[in-house]
Amino acid sequence: MVLLRSVPPPTEGVRHEQGETTAVLDGKGLGTGTLYVAETRLSWFDGSGMGFSLEYPTISLHAISRDLSAYPQEHLYVMVNAKLNDEMQENAHDDEEDEDEEDDCEGITEIRFVPSDKAALESMFSAMCECQALHPDPDDEDSNGDFDGDEYDVEEAAPEHGQGDIPSFCTYEEGVSGLRAEGQATLQRLEGMLAQSVANTFHMAGVRTDETNGEFDDGVEVDAGSTVAGQFEDADIDH
Amino acid sequence: MCPLCGWDVLVSYLICGTLHSVDQYLNIKLTDISVTDPEKYPHMLSVKNCFIRGSVVRYVQLPADEVDTQLLQDAARKEALQQKQ
Repeated sequence: MVLLRSVPPPTEGVRHEQGETTAVLDGKGLGTGTLYVAETRLSWFDGSGMGFSLEYPTISLHAISRDLSAYPQEHLYVMVNAKLNDEMQENAHDDEEDEDEEDDCEGITEIRFVPSDKAALESMFSAMCECQALHPDPDDEDSNGDFDGDEYDVEEAAPEHGQGDIPSFCTYEEGVSGLRAEGQATLQRLEGMLAQSVANTFHMAGVRTDETNGEFDDGVEVDAGSTVAGQFEDADIDH
Repeated sequence: MCPLCGWDVLVSYLICGTLHSVDQYLNIKLTDISVTDPEKYPHMLSVKNCFIRGSVVRYVQLPADEVDTQLLQDAARKEALQQKQ
């Protein structure tokens, strides 16, 4: 359940706390309170104990909205990948005012956090980005069907390291060790072809070949000579 | 810097924008975004930049004439193998 009515605001790992912040849930104003961007969850409470918390895996998207013609105040926009009921009130459902936003096929909830201090929006946004990165999906449920099944043989894969959407690959050594003689000969032939094609390729703008990607920050240098070889290791493996 | 940064991408047929950055979980930051279906997501009209959680991204459409798919696949494989080790 995404909406937790009685959970208190987090006290640890709070990356950003923003008071005097109005919360608007699917177009319905909930009053003014305090937003807590914590490492464990995103919470908002109005001071009287009423509020809600969101788990980061349910937050599809967040952004800063500055276009006053679309909404009269600058705010932090949050899209939740779930349909939230207004559980903060014990009464019967009275959140019928914005029907046009409730019938999305996926079931989403749009929340706006409107701070009185607009200068805090960047910090709120950044804090959410950081906390989102702390909550990657634990299971590689997505099969990444866009990849060609012949090239990414996950049957041979070692246990994944929880890299989220990145599929697991077996290492070059694991693959080669399973090849018969003719398989290895095929591998060598394909490696040669690939090495030749890589060597002849111009450095396409923006496409990294052997530079370390700072974004991934693992400090590993990619060696084209050793890593291209493992691509076809499954070509002749008996399954 | 990510090799795709600066390119215009379309995410899950919903949001088009310029790819600012992406991390290992495929969390995406887009700038100068536009929404393909404003009627469905009216509140997004006022947003310039956004952060999209990687797990909800179904697919990212890249400009076909700017991408050498073979090179991109090679780069992705190398990166994945390196991360595996």
